[in-house]
Amino acid sequence: MWVKAVEIIVSPILAFVIGLFFMGLARKITARIHWRYGPPITQPLIDVIKLFTQRSVSHGLLFDMGVILSLAGSIALVLFIPFGGICPLESSGGLLVILYLMLLIPLGLALSGGEGANPNISIGISRKLMLSLGYEVPFLLAVLAIMTHYHTISAVDVVRAQEGFRWALFSWPLVLPGLAYLMILPAMLGLRPFEVVQAPQEIASGPMVEYGGKYLALVQIEHALAVFVTIALFVDLFLGGASNPFFFFLKMCVIFLLGMFVNAVFPRFRIEQAVRFLWRWPTALAFVGLVFTLLAR
Amino acid sequence: MSPEILLSVAFVGAALTYILGRISSSLRDVFSVLLSVALVAMVALMYGMSGEEEFYMGFLGLPLVLRYGTLQWLFAIAVSSICALSTVFSLSYMRGKERLNFFYFSMFLVEAGMLGVVLSGDLVSFYIFWEVMSWSAFLLISYNRGPALAAGMKYIVMSVVGSVAMLVGILSLYATYGTLGIPEVASHMASASSGYILFTLIIFGIGFGIKSAIVPLHTWLPDAHSEAPSPFSAVLSGVLIKMGTYGFLLIMYVMVGIKAFLELGSGLYSFHYILCWLGAITAVIPTFIALLQNDAKRLLAWHSIGQIGYIILGIALGTSLGIAGGVFHILNHATFKALLFLTVGAVEYRTGGVRDLNSLGGLIKRMPLTFVGALVGALGIIGVPLTNGFVSKWLIYKTLILNRHPFLTFAAFIGTWGTLLSFYKFLHNIFLGQLPERYKDLEKAPFSMQLPIAILSLAVVFFGILPGIPLKVINKIGVSLGFEPLKVSIWGLASETGALNTLNIFTAVLVAGVIVWLIFRAGMKPVPVPQDNNYAAGSYIPRDRYIYTAEFYSPLFRMIRPYLRDVVDEFYMALSKGVRRTSDKLRRIYVGDVGYYVIYIILFLALLIALKIWLKLW
Repeated sequence: MWVKAVEIIVSPILAFVIGLFFMGLARKITARIHWRYGPPITQPLIDVIKLFTQRSVSHGLLFDMGVILSLAGSIALVLFIPFGGICPLESSGGLLVILYLMLLIPLGLALSGGEGANPNISIGISRKLMLSLGYEVPFLLAVLAIMTHYHTISAVDVVRAQEGFRWALFSWPLVLPGLAYLMILPAMLGLRPFEVVQAPQEIASGPMVEYGGKYLALVQIEHALAVFVTIALFVDLFLGGASNPFFFFLKMCVIFLLGMFVNAVFPRFRIEQAVRFLWRWPTALAFVGLVFTLLAR
Repeated sequence: MSPEILLSVAFVGAALTYILGRISSSLRDVFSVLLSVALVAMVALMYGMSGEEEFYMGFLGLPLVLRYGTLQWLFAIAVSSICALSTVFSLSYMRGKERLNFFYFSMFLVEAGMLGVVLSGDLVSFYIFWEVMSWSAFLLISYNRGPALAAGMKYIVMSVVGSVAMLVGILSLYATYGTLGIPEVASHMASASSGYILFTLIIFGIGFGIKSAIVPLHTWLPDAHSEAPSPFSAVLSGVLIKMGTYGFLLIMYVMVGIKAFLELGSGLYSFHYILCWLGAITAVIPTFIALLQNDAKRLLAWHSIGQIGYIILGIALGTSLGIAGGVFHILNHATFKALLFLTVGAVEYRTGGVRDLNSLGGLIKRMPLTFVGALVGALGIIGVPLTNGFVSKWLIYKTLILNRHPFLTFAAFIGTWGTLLSFYKFLHNIFLGQLPERYKDLEKAPFSMQLPIAILSLAVVFFGILPGIPLKVINKIGVSLGFEPLKVSIWGLASETGALNTLNIFTAVLVAGVIVWLIFRAGMKPVPVPQDNNYAAGSYIPRDRYIYTAEFYSPLFRMIRPYLRDVVDEFYMALSKGVRRTSDKLRRIYVGDVGYYVIYIILFLALLIALKIWLKLW
């Protein structure tokens, strides 16, 4: 009971710290690839604290509530994700709840942005939703391949089934959906070449454009948690999770670095190109993988 | 409370509404509200009872029977509650329109017809009530005249085709078994050949499929739902199309029986698997067609078809989880879809009949409660956790995954994303964004509209957090149909392969929300500013020039629109045009001159004589 309570408190904090660390790491690595020195790795944390002390503007109740809903959804989501042996709410609905709680994050931001009524927000949100539809197709196929192969809807069971280096990414036929998931990770994380939603040079950060001060701080935290969840889910489903948080963190770092390298050297797709790409190669891979999974059993 | 009294009250009440309306309109309004509430109360009193009673002996030698149990009760309570709420909603929505007595009369006639369909215990009375329901629905669909007449015509033509198919089925059952009582037919069906079972399922399936609008029998629905008056759209989409799914439950699990139903055909070619695929197609394609719509009610109408797909997917799979999910989704769809139609009705009422998504916007400032209703309804239909739609979809997904149908699950998942996209567009284009200048002084919806919206919103959330309450009843239905009982608790259900605990989800989201809110409050207080303050940096923006919600997903539309033609509808329309053309040619024979007719008769007689002489036929 007490262990559970501690886990419930600790896991969102861990997710927050790791997510912010990744965001700092991202800036550092990109800077080094671009032959710059880059900001200190704690810069995102400093930014969040700084933003809290700044003034902000609001456009109404839903403008506030949408941000809160989005962040609350991502905190709740963290509790359902196994993190190296820690999973506070493991028997409450499993992967299906995870898939559905993931809806709350874009939905909350979209509702909040809707009340902002800024053309850049509208464009950004419509791009975000279209891009989500783009990557959800291969993503759901990949998750379904995992659920069908291990015959469970619980993320903890999936991790348990991969104990002893029987990682899904290195087993036939799950390697196909695994590769598909790797290909869509930049899209899920909002990295280049799929950085169409924020596209700072084009639509001035899109959905973020009206946020300032504490709103921006909360959205940053939400983004950090989303980065954590997306990568952690991949590690759980395809890299066999880990028996303790440290190894889990190492696996996450490897995956995140891969994403960063792609981000640093690629230009940006247009939204149609992005969706078309997502519906072509990753979807084909995941689809074939799911067919093989179904035939294998 | 006996069902006989219930039905008499419903039918007599319908007639009384009309008569009272001739005397005084306010008397009629009061009476119709009282009547609809009384019907809910009477159905509620029937909870837990089951039995059978004959109400008329010797219709062509067949007894007409009413039969009631938990399954019937669940449908009856859904029908009576949704009808009661839309009656209350109609009070202000319909005020000032013409032919009101007729409107209320038809509303109650539809309700009585639906209650009759649900409670009938033999196929003759089933058919009679079915026709009462179909025809009175036609009266209401074409109530608005104009394009509504065409929509009503499309509906009634398809409906008649369905009824005729059903009548053929009933006659065939009568010819084979000599009885039409549902339990008697069921006992005979147990020993029927699989070919005959297949015939029965298909012939009744056409009738029920048209009513519940399964692809490819769905084409009447988008027109009918969008042209009907909004309170009736809520009834139509909320409960009337569910009569088709009730029929499916009746034919598949009561009359044919689970075992015979699931053993029909084998592997990929089994009947229930094909029906599941029809359900999956119904869940995906109409949802994406809905995404393209610009008429708020048409968008909702296409989603009705999509959600029926989920229901069929659940009940056709034939597992206890599936049946629970399917039946629960019937109930849930009734609540959130009625809610959505009522909110659109309220918007329509205040803006003078505007439903075009590209010319509305910003109404959250003027109609906050209506927005909350629409938001809750949208969350429910998307299936966000803590709404009832989540629980029923969870049940359906789980059983699909555990029975190794990943592609069916995938179809259902993608349908959910299509729903999310189109409902964000729905909410955004009506309630968010800029408020057009002409709606600046809009008032909020009147109380008689807000009340049903509030009740339905509460129901969506309540059943989402405490799904155990309806699931207990649904579990009883599953058991009575011969399925294994589920382990239902008040928070969801417990089982070996993964439980659902809505309490945990609810607490997690709530506590996280409170913490975030506290952090939010701790920061500096934000300055409220007008919407275009940041964007225009204080300079003047011409009002109503920038409608950037129009063509919201246009890059996506350019990609998917070519694939989303309603081919079935085009086929039916071509068919009807062809029939009309041939009939038109045939009509030319009748020139209206008696001399020609005499010649036709003489020619025909000559033909007969010639046949007699040359061919010696008789």
